[in-house]
Amino acid sequence: MFGATLSRWTMSYFAAALIFLAIGEMMMVLGFGYPASSIDAPETLALVHTITLGWLSLLMAGALLQFVPVLVGRPLSFPHLGFPALVLLVVGITSLVLGFASLAGTEGLSPLLLPAGATVTIAGLALLVIVFAATLWHARPLPLPARFVAAGLGSLVIACLLGGTYAFVLSGLADAPGAIDLTLEGVSLHAALGLGGWLSFTTMGVSYRLLTMFMLSPDRERRSSRTVWILGAAALGMMVCIVPMILAGFAGRTTLLVVAALASVLAIGIYLADIVRIYRGRKRRLIELNSRAGIGAFAALIVATVIFVASLISGQIDKGVGPLVYLITFGWLTGMGLAQLYKIVPFITWLECYGPLLGRMPTPRVQDLVVETRAAFWFRLFYLTVAVASVALYLDNAWLFRASSLGQLIAVNALVFEFVATRRLSNVPSNLRLPGGPTGPHLFFPSFQSRRQP
Amino acid sequence: MTKDPYELDVRPLLKSGSDPFQAIMNAVDGLAPGQPLKLIATFRPVPLFSVMAGRGFAYLDQPLGNGDWEVLFTPEEQVDEIRVSAGDTDLDTWPDPARQLDLTDLDPPEPMVRILAVVEKMLAGEVLFALLAREPLFLYPELAKRGHKWAGNFDAAGETYRILIRVGGRKGHDNAED
Repeated sequence: MFGATLSRWTMSYFAAALIFLAIGEMMMVLGFGYPASSIDAPETLALVHTITLGWLSLLMAGALLQFVPVLVGRPLSFPHLGFPALVLLVVGITSLVLGFASLAGTEGLSPLLLPAGATVTIAGLALLVIVFAATLWHARPLPLPARFVAAGLGSLVIACLLGGTYAFVLSGLADAPGAIDLTLEGVSLHAALGLGGWLSFTTMGVSYRLLTMFMLSPDRERRSSRTVWILGAAALGMMVCIVPMILAGFAGRTTLLVVAALASVLAIGIYLADIVRIYRGRKRRLIELNSRAGIGAFAALIVATVIFVASLISGQIDKGVGPLVYLITFGWLTGMGLAQLYKIVPFITWLECYGPLLGRMPTPRVQDLVVETRAAFWFRLFYLTVAVASVALYLDNAWLFRASSLGQLIAVNALVFEFVATRRLSNVPSNLRLPGGPTGPHLFFPSFQSRRQP
Repeated sequence: MTKDPYELDVRPLLKSGSDPFQAIMNAVDGLAPGQPLKLIATFRPVPLFSVMAGRGFAYLDQPLGNGDWEVLFTPEEQVDEIRVSAGDTDLDTWPDPARQLDLTDLDPPEPMVRILAVVEKMLAGEVLFALLAREPLFLYPELAKRGHKWAGNFDAAGETYRILIRVGGRKGHDNAED
């Protein structure tokens, strides 16, 4: 059967992801990790994994559970794996972060939490990879956005294998020379494949489809978009090739890394030109807040790319890497994630509550579930704090960074409050709110009766 | 999605006295999905038309002036590209559409809202024809739940989605409850 139904666990993934984001923001406010500690300190690793795994990866997984079927026009394979994967991920990521905290000298925590957490996290991600890979496999030939997702999943697998190796080396369980070489030399690959391949490349692919859908822009596959895929996939492939080169001790790794970096920059440049064309070619004159708030994320991606190229040319990549990773993680990925959540949450809630009633009685519009003027303020505050915090990192000013993180924590919590209001249908005029009966949607847990398919 | 045709000139084979049939069939087997075949021969290959029709190709022939002929065999729209609702969906028995909607300028999910509103007012057995800018993936499960049948596909340019919906019996209201 064709078509896409509501994904049962997506809202639960989003809820868990937002909790991890709030925890990460609090760590930054309290001065836990970079810039108070050094960039490779265990405290920083705890913070980085709270954000990249806890927030961004859970968010991406929840979104893919809902949108991979939309990208390929067929239902998910093994959809029942969604819930066990979520349990494994929440448990695994929590122990991984506590494991890093134990390396940082926190009393009463076993360093074995690190490899245990990594193993459980990888098991959870493996379940998700099975779900998505099987769905994509059955949907061949893949439309272009789905090919981005496939490359992103490939990057995730390699990033996980590298990360798992580090966890065993850092906790002292593994001392094979190859594993130690990878730990010493492969961390930038792990970060590039995770942030660049899994999170960014997948976001780029999905954005092609969702932005054209939200703004009614022409949806044809462009040659330029195919070029973005080819360049990006080639860059990711080159980074993957460096792993065996490290193990075998081959020279020429830096050259390959520079070529991969150039291909990535080119891909991002063409991608951004595509995005400008999608915004300009839209049929819809007034765009909704999710598309407006997305512009901030694209701006962050542009600035990050410029900083990256500038520091490559000036040879100061080590000095600029902190602000750069911050800008990618918060400006681009978190900004885009929050912006699209602002559309996905009301849409899913609307379909869940009013889909069965459409045409039979008056129902609210999707936009009746949100109050854009309120949320627009919080998005502005969010991007302002990203800008200030990036400058603070560049100036090495830890206090300014903590102050702007406090502003960001407030903005994020206010947006979470907006999502909760949407789920509770608080913004819907009361005469339209629940025409079909007294029960509203659960906040983040599926309602089992209403989603059964005939 | 229009692809460049694969060009096969069988005039040398014909002039050398051999039968080009196998070469043509090999070329047909080698075509990409949706790819046309351009055949150039020394005569109008009438017997081939029915053979190719059997393999799902339409033909367009034109004389080249010097007695040679050029025939463009284009694959007819693939049946498997039409998406139909589950169960027995025999489009030949469907009546002509009673209602038509052009929803190509509406942003999602408005097309779904309009379609369901119109379908609710139609009689069982009637057919609605609608044009949309996107494939209505979230509409399908809702139609199935309400007992309606549907069939749809993109137009040749891949820009407009066309869907036929045949209104089912009025058991849909009960289905929504379970």
